[in-house]
Parts: sequence; structure tokens; C-alpha cells
Amino acid sequence: MADTTLPANALMPLLDKSFRLAFPFLVALAVGAAILLIIGENPFDVYALMAQESFGSLRRSSATLSAATPLLFTSVATAICFRTGVFNVGVEGAFVLGGISAAFVGFTLPVYFGSAIIPLAFAFAALVGAAWLYIPGLLLARYKVDEVVSTLMLNFVAFGISGYLVNGPLLSRESGNNVTPLVHEIAQLPRLLPPSTLHAGFIVGLLVVAAYALWVKRTPSGFESALVGFSQRFARAVGISIPATIILVMVLSGLVAGLGGGSHALGQLHRFADGFSPGFGFTGMAVALLARNSPLGIIFGSILFGALASSGTTVQLFSDIPLDLVNIIEGTVMIFAVVELGRITLFRRSVRS
Amino acid sequence: MRKSNILAGTLAILLTSITTLALTADMKPAALIIAQGGLGDGSWNDAAIAGFDAGLKKNGLEGRPIESKDVVGQGEEIMRRAADGGFGLVISLEWLHGEPMEKLAPDYPDTDWVIMNQTRKGDNLASIVFAEHEGSYLAGALAAMVTADTSIKGINDDLVIGVIGGVKAPGIDKFIVGYIQGAKSVNQDTDVKVAYSDSFGDPAKGQQMAKAMFDDGADIVFQVAGGTGIGIIQAAKSEGHFAIGVDSDQDGMAPGHVLTSMLKRVDVAVEGILDKYATGQFPGGQVVEFDLAQNGVALSEMTFTKDIIPGAYLDKVAQIKSDIIDGKIDVWDVSTQGYPDFFQ
Repeated sequence: MADTTLPANALMPLLDKSFRLAFPFLVALAVGAAILLIIGENPFDVYALMAQESFGSLRRSSATLSAATPLLFTSVATAICFRTGVFNVGVEGAFVLGGISAAFVGFTLPVYFGSAIIPLAFAFAALVGAAWLYIPGLLLARYKVDEVVSTLMLNFVAFGISGYLVNGPLLSRESGNNVTPLVHEIAQLPRLLPPSTLHAGFIVGLLVVAAYALWVKRTPSGFESALVGFSQRFARAVGISIPATIILVMVLSGLVAGLGGGSHALGQLHRFADGFSPGFGFTGMAVALLARNSPLGIIFGSILFGALASSGTTVQLFSDIPLDLVNIIEGTVMIFAVVELGRITLFRRSVRS
Repeated sequence: MRKSNILAGTLAILLTSITTLALTADMKPAALIIAQGGLGDGSWNDAAIAGFDAGLKKNGLEGRPIESKDVVGQGEEIMRRAADGGFGLVISLEWLHGEPMEKLAPDYPDTDWVIMNQTRKGDNLASIVFAEHEGSYLAGALAAMVTADTSIKGINDDLVIGVIGGVKAPGIDKFIVGYIQGAKSVNQDTDVKVAYSDSFGDPAKGQQMAKAMFDDGADIVFQVAGGTGIGIIQAAKSEGHFAIGVDSDQDGMAPGHVLTSMLKRVDVAVEGILDKYATGQFPGGQVVEFDLAQNGVALSEMTFTKDIIPGAYLDKVAQIKSDIIDGKIDVWDVSTQGYPDFFQ
């Protein structure tokens, strides 16, 4: 008995982890399948088509990675706060403000700055994002203002500011539409596999995830913030400053979200426009929850949601599947990503005892 | 092994079904990319899909609408996928797709491309524009007649009407110049006040500006300012005067206080393009203008105001409309002719 269970036990944590990652997704696929059966479609055909549209060719795989790119940033930005026990839902607003900031630098600076415009635009976007989330961080750390409420409300303020700018002062004179001018060609991030829209922002995103992993595993502040998330009383007892930690993670979160907006503006749209983000900040929350804040999980989760977004759209070209199905699958993944946390832990305990 | 066989089998079946979709009709299928706001917006997208469905049915074409939550960011991937997937015609309703479409169209010579409300280059790309100046001319003519008739409730003694544009740009001044020209054609003494809100999304500012115009003696204000215009319509209601709606039928936003709306009939345009595509006359490389003659622009049905506007005025508007169609009246088009002497 002992010698058969030993290798299984060694594998257990890894299996357990991937199962935890996959479980919400499997449930969502089952729910989607039930709905497909009800509307008279064959779920296997639809899912096969979706798999093909997600990863069926190099072209489609790069479209998926392109759709995943903004999520790498927003999910890291969310995870930084979630693992500290700070429920920051303001990543969306910081992402949008980062986007308009980077676009502003990208079309305002004179062309003779050359490709130096790119780091400058990224830096400005990160600065604006960090400053933006510093506000709720300070409110929470100093005045105990609930961060869920403050960050949620600040999103609307961010939409208001960006909406005002793109409809007024930064409005492109060449069109009657709500867009800024295009950033200079030299300020546009290069594409990795042309003609796919996959751009260098994806690499930046991976670097951000790597930096996050490093911060989590190798730095004192990464460790301390995890302790704060584990138990504030304990953290305080061992001499960690809770307010300083809260402000730090909020600022880091805003910085990453701002970079993400910058990447999307410089790499994908080449400008800021109404409809800049379809809710990347909120999808990033789902990815962070699904991944339990683990860096590797964040990469897989982002690609998964990127695949849903890209295949869910193009699948409409070849079948009668409405976009709503994809929304249902996404929503179900999100719900079960949260719900399963408690159940799986219970399940694991009962197995081990 | 078995699993991969099943997968390969499914894929094979799937691929065949895709090819059959493309081959059942004589023509390659058409795709309609839905703009931001999505289906169910009660306006631009819903009108377009109605025209799309009608055009497909009439011409026996296959076609599909495509919606995406991230239609802005994924636009280029969607368009390329449609062309790679064997679609012969791709129409995008999203304004932001114009720039990428112009760049990618040469890569797909066997696909026809259509963009709206802008002029883009390409042998296999058609740009659809609307003759907003003609529709605005009718709106101006009607407004000039109504502002002179103090028997209508909400009309004052002054021969003053107004127009508020979202931004000072040729695309907006195209409406404004047509409107002024139409008003002057009825009565040269009509004073048309012009203002710009420098914003398309600020109803509060629209309301303020419209109120200022009403205080200044105007009793009818034409809104060419998108979301800012919602405030203009609200001001018309609260001040007891009139607004004129734009793009879609906005008469119902303040029943009885929106004199009429200057409609852009995207449904007519989409259906018209499908007709041309089906008969092998796709206008590649051309700017296709949908004007009064094709019903591409029009005044609304005036559901709530047709009973308070004297019938003679409506007859006059109908007369002016047929005169424009017959070429008896030339309406100034800022987008192609530049600015006229009477409006710089």
C-alpha cells in the first residue's frame, strides 16, 4: 500500500493544482453544452470549432495571444492586491487612464524623439496608473475607507475623465468620432508575427508576470504582503506596517494596470478611443481568482480567456452560435473559480485524513 | 490515438460543413461586423442588421453578423479571419475599423470590403457616405417655416433658429451648412445661430448651450453633437421649444418637442451594397453616397409633431426634396466642396 501511494502523493500537489484550475472551466463547458443542446446545437461540434478557432493554426493562436495580452497586465495588477487581502476592483479605471496617457504621449511628443517615445509613454502610463490607485490605497490605509467601494466608484470617475478628454481636448480633428489622433508610427509597438495583431506588448506582459513572480517569491515586501493577506493581526505582531503595505500594493497594482493600458494603446489600437476596454480589468479579476494569484496560473488563465474572446467572435462566422454563449461560459468560469475555493479545500482534507 | 482520431474526424466534418456554407450559394457569403453598442442598440446596429437580413433574403445570399465585446481591439483579426474563411464581402459598421481595413484589404483581393462614414482607398474597398447635407437642408427648410409661424405653441416672434455641432470639423459642418442653406432658401431673413460644444458626450453642456440659444431668441435647435445632443433635446423639452434630432429617429426622446430627426438610413445602405454585390457590380475603389434619391438620408416620420405642423409646410418640404433629387436645387457639400462664402 505504502509504495503505491508514495509516487501518487508526490504528484498530488501538481494534479491538485491543475485540477483546481481546470475544474471551473469544465463546469462552464458543461453548462454551455447544456444550453447548446437546448438550442439544438451539437456541443461537440461547437467546442471543436471553438478549439480550432482558438489554436487551430498559427494565425489563430496568435489572435488568441493577442486577445490575452491586456489580461496578463490586469490579472497581475489584481493578484498583487488580492494576495494581500486588498479587494481592489479599480484596475479597469487605472487601465483606461494608462491607455489615454500613453496615447497622449504617443501622438503629442515630436517625432524626432524616435522610438524613445515608447518608454516615455509607458512610463507616463505607469505613473498615472500608480497615482490613480494611490488614492484608494491612502484612503484605506489612513482612513479605513472600504476599498471595494472606493475603487469601484473611482472606475466611474476614470471613465468620466477619459470620456471627457477623448470627446473634447484630445479629440481627433479629422473625424466626427470619439477618438484621439493616431500615435506616431514610430511609437507603435512592433508586431511579432505579422499580419497578426500580436504585438510586443505581449512580451512586456510576460515580463510583468515574471517580475510579479520574482516579487512574490524573492523579495521581502512580496513576502510581507502575503503575510498581511494571511492575517493582519499576525503581520502586525511581527512588525509589518499594514498601512505601508496596503499603499505599496495599490501603487504597484496601478503601475501594472497603467502599463497594460499603455500596451493596448501603443500596440493594439494605436490611439485611445471610446470603447478602449471592454472590461479587461474585470476579466483580469476572474483570471486572478482562477489562478489563485499564481504567476503560471495567470499566464494560462489569460490565454484561456483570450481564447474564449477570440474564438467566441470568429466562431460566429461559421455557425449560428451567438456571442451570448461565450458570455455564459465566461460568467460560469468566474462563478466557479470563486465558489470552488472552499469546496476543494474541504475535499482535499477529507481525502488526506 | 483514438481520441485524436475522433478529434480529426470532427475537424474534418467541420471543415466540410464550412466549405459547404461557402459553396451552397453561387456567391461567397457576406459578413456584417456589428459596431460598439452591439445588437439591440435600437439605432445604428439594429437598423443595419435589418437591411442586411433583407438584402441577403432578396438576393439569395448567405451571410452572418459578427458581434464582439472587444470589437475595437479585435477588429483587424475579425476582418482577416472572415476573408481567410472564404467570405466574399465584409461590411464593418465600426468607424474605427476604417484604418485597419484600408491596410489589410490589399492582402485579400478576392474579398470586397465596405466601411461607413469615411473615405478610404483600395480597389476592393467601397466607402459608404451619407448625403447629410441634403437631409440637413430639408431640416433647415422645415425649421425656417415653423419658426415664422407663431400660431404653433413654443414658437416666438423672432426669426431665429439654431444648430449645435459637436466639433468644428468638415464632417460636422457638412450638416450645418446644409441646414443654413435650407433655412435661407425658405426665408433669407432667417437668422441661424451656430455653436460648437467641443464634445460629443456631454449632455449637461448640450443642455446649457441649447438653453442659452433659446434665451437668445431661437425656438428650434438642430443637434449634430451625438451624446451631447441628448441634453439639447432635454433643454427643448424643459424650455418648451423644439430640437431636431440626428442620425436615428430621436422624435420619441421628448415627444412633441423634437420637430423631426435627420435620419441616416444605414439599413438602406447595407441593403443597397448587398444588391450591388449580388449582381457583380460591387463599387470597389468608389465612394458611394447614399442621398435623398436613394432614401439614404431622410426626415423622420414626425410621429409626434406631424399634427402640429401645418400640412402646407410638409408639402413644401416634399416639394424641396423632389427638387433636390431632380437636381433643381444644389446643396452645398462641405466634405467635397470646402467651405462656401456664406459660412467660413
